[in-house]
Amino acid sequence: MSSLLRWLGAALLLAGAAFLLSDYHNDVYRKLLLWVTLALSYNFLFGICGQIAFSHFAFYGIGAYSVVIFLFQFHLPFPLAILLGIALCILFALAVAIPSARLEGFYLALATLALAQLFIVVLNEGGAVTGGPGGLANYKLPEFLGTRIRGPWYTAVIVLLLLGTLAVLWRLDRSWFGRACRAVRDNPEVAAAMGVDVARTKVTAFTLTSALAGIAGMVYAFVDNTVNPPIFGLDNAFLLLFMVIVGGAGRHAGAIIGAALLFLVPFVLSPLIGHHHVLVFGVLVVAAILLQPRGLVGLYDAIRRHP
Amino acid sequence: MQDFLELTVSAAASGCIYGLIALAYLLMIRPTGIINFAVGEWAMVGAFGGYLLLSKFEWPYPLGMAAVLVFMLVIGWLTERIAVRPLVERGAPLLAPILALLGMLVVFREAISVSFAPDPHPVPYALGIQRQSFFIIAVTSVVFIGVWLFFERTIAGKSFEAVAIHRRAAALMGINLSRVTALSFAAGAGAAGLAGLLVSPNVSAHYLMGVPLAIQGFTALVIGGVGRVEGALLGGLLLAFAEQLTVRYAPIPAGYAQGVPLLLLMLFLLLRPTGLLRAK
Amino acid sequence: MPSAAILEVRGLTKRFGGLTAVSSLGFEVREGEILGMIGPNGAGKSTTFNLIAGTYAATQGEVRFAGEQILGLPPHRIAARGVMRTFQHNRPFGGMPVIDNVLVGAHTRFASGLWAVVGGRALREETQRRKRAAELIEFVGLGELPHADVATLSFGQGRLLEIARALAGEPRLLLFDEPAAGLTLAECERLAGIIRGIAARGIAVLLIEHDMHFLLPLAQRVAVLNFGVKIADGLPEQIRNHPAVLEAYLGSHAAA
Repeated sequence: MSSLLRWLGAALLLAGAAFLLSDYHNDVYRKLLLWVTLALSYNFLFGICGQIAFSHFAFYGIGAYSVVIFLFQFHLPFPLAILLGIALCILFALAVAIPSARLEGFYLALATLALAQLFIVVLNEGGAVTGGPGGLANYKLPEFLGTRIRGPWYTAVIVLLLLGTLAVLWRLDRSWFGRACRAVRDNPEVAAAMGVDVARTKVTAFTLTSALAGIAGMVYAFVDNTVNPPIFGLDNAFLLLFMVIVGGAGRHAGAIIGAALLFLVPFVLSPLIGHHHVLVFGVLVVAAILLQPRGLVGLYDAIRRHP
Repeated sequence: MQDFLELTVSAAASGCIYGLIALAYLLMIRPTGIINFAVGEWAMVGAFGGYLLLSKFEWPYPLGMAAVLVFMLVIGWLTERIAVRPLVERGAPLLAPILALLGMLVVFREAISVSFAPDPHPVPYALGIQRQSFFIIAVTSVVFIGVWLFFERTIAGKSFEAVAIHRRAAALMGINLSRVTALSFAAGAGAAGLAGLLVSPNVSAHYLMGVPLAIQGFTALVIGGVGRVEGALLGGLLLAFAEQLTVRYAPIPAGYAQGVPLLLLMLFLLLRPTGLLRAK
Repeated sequence: MPSAAILEVRGLTKRFGGLTAVSSLGFEVREGEILGMIGPNGAGKSTTFNLIAGTYAATQGEVRFAGEQILGLPPHRIAARGVMRTFQHNRPFGGMPVIDNVLVGAHTRFASGLWAVVGGRALREETQRRKRAAELIEFVGLGELPHADVATLSFGQGRLLEIARALAGEPRLLLFDEPAAGLTLAECERLAGIIRGIAARGIAVLLIEHDMHFLLPLAQRVAVLNFGVKIADGLPEQIRNHPAVLEAYLGSHAAA
């Protein structure tokens, strides 16, 4: 019961903040919440299951584009558009993961790199369906029970998305599945000897987290009411990986801290160094791996243990 | 007929580029098990080296090319020194240097994007536009023959192979592991930089050129098989022909040809994960 | 009253290139029995072990577990059928505490699916399994350490964790890969007690061991391997004085 209250409290606090913010800050806040959501699901795949993939933003994009295309070009009902979008994510995820995850080695990383690259090409060359380089715009969230969710209320929807994602991942992490994922990351051979189907665990983790990214993408589609290719590219996929590494891979808190930090730093730094913060992030990541592989959360633990 | 001949030559030239990138991966994977995603960015750095020395400072081609090659060897060695050796010495899991190299990938790309304008930078042809394909094929052949002879005929090459087969046993035999690792990264950067220099007259040096090359090179490696040097070249050629034939004959936008590597990668991983040529 | 043979091995052969590591090996293990397998280094003990556990593919032969051929199954399927193992060099999962390590061993025994996990309906099973894992930790004598970081365990404690983890899979056959290696004399005695306790639960035990002094008092039957061939089997006291064994095993020891 107390844990339910805690979740409820977090929801009220996070959503309540939206009503105090200006329109501009609400926008920044929404993007921050979305980044944290993505970092959480990516952390499960990379930090907990030990799989490198570069397709998280591609699935975010598949979710966003598919819901818009199904709704406004095919005029499907809202729930059906969402279900089809999720199905599409699962289908693509399985198609990539089944051939590459059953092998030892880093094939999934390369396959998802190729998928992410191809996805941007398809968006740019997709003509009227994807809107080409300009993307799709001029659509609105369908009305629900006669009202359209707007403003801070939509921020509250994103808070629900974040907490829902965290709850799902939390439960997965504390189950046989989460332990199997960690076992696969630590030592696949021993995991197999303990009865863990290594390939299946990897494929399931990839598909699940990709579907979560797709769902986040569907929510994102109505944040700016426009979707266009650059958001879903490899740059952001790298940034997401860096967030998880800097924050502390394998820990939910690490993903949250890393995402918040790397998302907010450019706002502080850009007056000083323009748009070169990505270079700073690259250096930061190399330094983190060399000096503190457990990230900021690990650093905090170390300091607390030996003050 | 003329048309087909041109397609063959241009596909062979692209295949050589992919083969060189695949070779760069292979040189590093074999002795260390580390897959270095930054090879594409190394190619990009090589291309910008070509722009700087050959276009901007107008050095004679052979001198410029040699300088780029030496510069790349140093870059490769430095990369290993910074992002790989400390982790290997600490006994960190294999994932750690791979992630550090991903960080280096972004460092390379952003460093170039900060130092040069974001538009394409021209790099001159070695012997004129018509002969560039033949030049690429000739240089690649020399590189592959050289590498092949190194592995097959020299003691140093054998020691590389020994490390590839069993790191600990090789160390017990008195082979200097860190020297082999450093050399493999230097050579990998050399091969990748050369690929970048060779391809840049056709595509111009651009800070985003790395990732597609990294994907194509890796696909070539999977097609050919990680075990053999010749496999890298064979895989590169196969991929390039598949791409060019798709662009020529399939009724799809040219950009979709970028889907060919992914498709071939999936097919080979499903049907023949060891690649065409198995390790001996 | 000989109980049913749970593991039957017939004509098991493994060649690595030109080298025959195991040649037409045959033996069986009965429920609740401790079968010891000894032999000098390179005798083919570890290869046999890995063939049964599915880590290596056999060249030919037959391995029947509970009457069904398991040769050729991947390791995780073999584990799911009830064949669990320990590792000679302790190999815990570093990223989790002791109890979670043990729970990984119970992986195949969880009945709830992913939907039940996400929906929260798996929590009851999780609690039950966790309790059971704590009991196993108690059983092997790590009772005070369920939440310890595995990195803080001593070598001997790590070996005990290996056993608790394997037991969590509710095995009908437990394979021990040189369990006494690296343990102190006191630890060896405790280990022997634990292994007897496991067999007393009706679990078949196959013990591969280098150390005769540990094995002979513990095993009910002993098979001796040399150069991939079984050169003797029988009761421990028969083995102790078997001329071929003294020649092959102790002889090579004396020479080394």
